[in-house]
Order: sequence, then C-alpha cells, then structure tokens
Amino acid sequence: MIVAGREGGADGVRIVLETEEAMLLSELADQVDSVLLLGGEDDPALGRLFPSAYQDDEASAREFARYTRESLVDGKRQAAQAVRDATATERGEGLVEIELDQAQAWGWLTFLTDLRLILAERVGVADPDEAEPADEERDDYLRAAYEWAGIVQGSMLEVLDPIGR
Amino acid sequence: MTSTIEQLDADLVTDEAVRPDLPWQTIVWDDPVNLMTYVTYVFRSYFGYPREEAERLMLQVHHEGRAVVASGNREAMERHVHAMHGYGLQATVSRAES
Repeated sequence: MIVAGREGGADGVRIVLETEEAMLLSELADQVDSVLLLGGEDDPALGRLFPSAYQDDEASAREFARYTRESLVDGKRQAAQAVRDATATERGEGLVEIELDQAQAWGWLTFLTDLRLILAERVGVADPDEAEPADEERDDYLRAAYEWAGIVQGSMLEVLDPIGR
Repeated sequence: MTSTIEQLDADLVTDEAVRPDLPWQTIVWDDPVNLMTYVTYVFRSYFGYPREEAERLMLQVHHEGRAVVASGNREAMERHVHAMHGYGLQATVSRAES
C-alpha cells in the first residue's frame, strides 16, 4: 500500500493498493454495507456506530435517533459503497490506483472508522480482559483487518493533515 | 447620559447574565478505537479549531475520558452530535453544569 499526495499538490490523496489489499478492502466495505443494511437493533456493533445522544434521558435519545438515524445510515452506507466500488478488482489485475479529492477522502476516513468500530466490537478490542474467543482463526483475521485499516487511515491522515502545517 | 464605554460595560454584564440561555454542550467521549490524529482532524475540519486547540481537546478526551467541544443552544448541539456520529465519534448532548 502506498498513500501519497496528488499530482500538482491538489487537495486529497492518492492510494495505490496491491490486488489482494484492494480485494480485501472491497470485501470489508461490502460487509460494512450489509451490517448497516441488515443489522438488527440487538447488534452491539450498531451501538458503536449509532451511540445514544443523551446519557441520562432515554426519551430525548429516542427522539434524536428518530430524526437522525436514517441520514446517518445513508451517509455511512454511501461511504462504504464508494470504497467497495473504488477497490473492486479481480485477481491478476495488478495494482489498483485510486485518486480521491478532499470530499472523497473524508468518505474513506469515515468508512475506515466505521469498519474499525465494527471489527473492534466483533473481536472485543474494547475489553482486553475478555476470555479467549472460541474461534481464534476468525478473530486473528478480524484483528489483522482492524490493524491494517488503522494503518491505511493513519497514512491518509499523514497526507491530508501533515503535522506542522 | 451614559458614555459609550459604560454602555459597553453594561452590555458585557448582560451577556454574562444571559449565559444560562446557552446551557447545552456537545461532549465527545474517549473511544479506544479512534486514532488520535483522526479525532484532531475532525475537530479541526468540522469545528474549524486551530490545530493547537483541536489537539488540546483531543488530548483532554484521551486523558480525561471526555471533553466539551462546543456550547450553545440545544438545536445546535444536536446538529454537532449528529455530525460527530457521522464521523464515528462517541458524542452526547447534555446540559452545562452551572
């Protein structure tokens, strides 16, 4: 993976992914879209994506959710779909080069955040003392994806918001 | 007849006195998932805070578990929290402590 500034100093970021990286990201983006589309109210990952807006006021929290949930779901799904489409590739296609302007880059940043929130919930990042999970192989895969998504996001931020600017 | 300066002073006092009608806050809570650089960038981009202030608030969230990132009327705070949830940050609306 390479993340760099765009030609001629234009706003945004240029990302070059290996085929396998692009396929992984596309698959993860598709899964995030599915969680947003199909996730039930009892899915704890959705609690991370749509936290309560009022700590001690259940009625206000419900009212807030009623007015905001649909647009939040739409925004997050659009971001996930944009990443899925930009990274769609087939084995043997070679490097995938992606140019993002500032607005598109924000879509990627928020998608990567949502992805990591969901993965963290699935592997229990929030609670390091949690008992050993039953399915270790699946968890190793999700944990690796979580770390990698963080590296992609961190690299993007180094370009978009360089320290000292 | 009051001088301009006295008038200004009176206005300042009045502003102080009506602080209670700005009694709502946007609070961002610590989350072990979000990158510190991301949180700073959100504060800079969305609220328009200078880097130093954005980093101060980010560190306050990180170390103290929460930070007040905006104050104002309830509607405005709900708009901010809506936006923060869009960015994937844990944020709540609450009344300012007097």
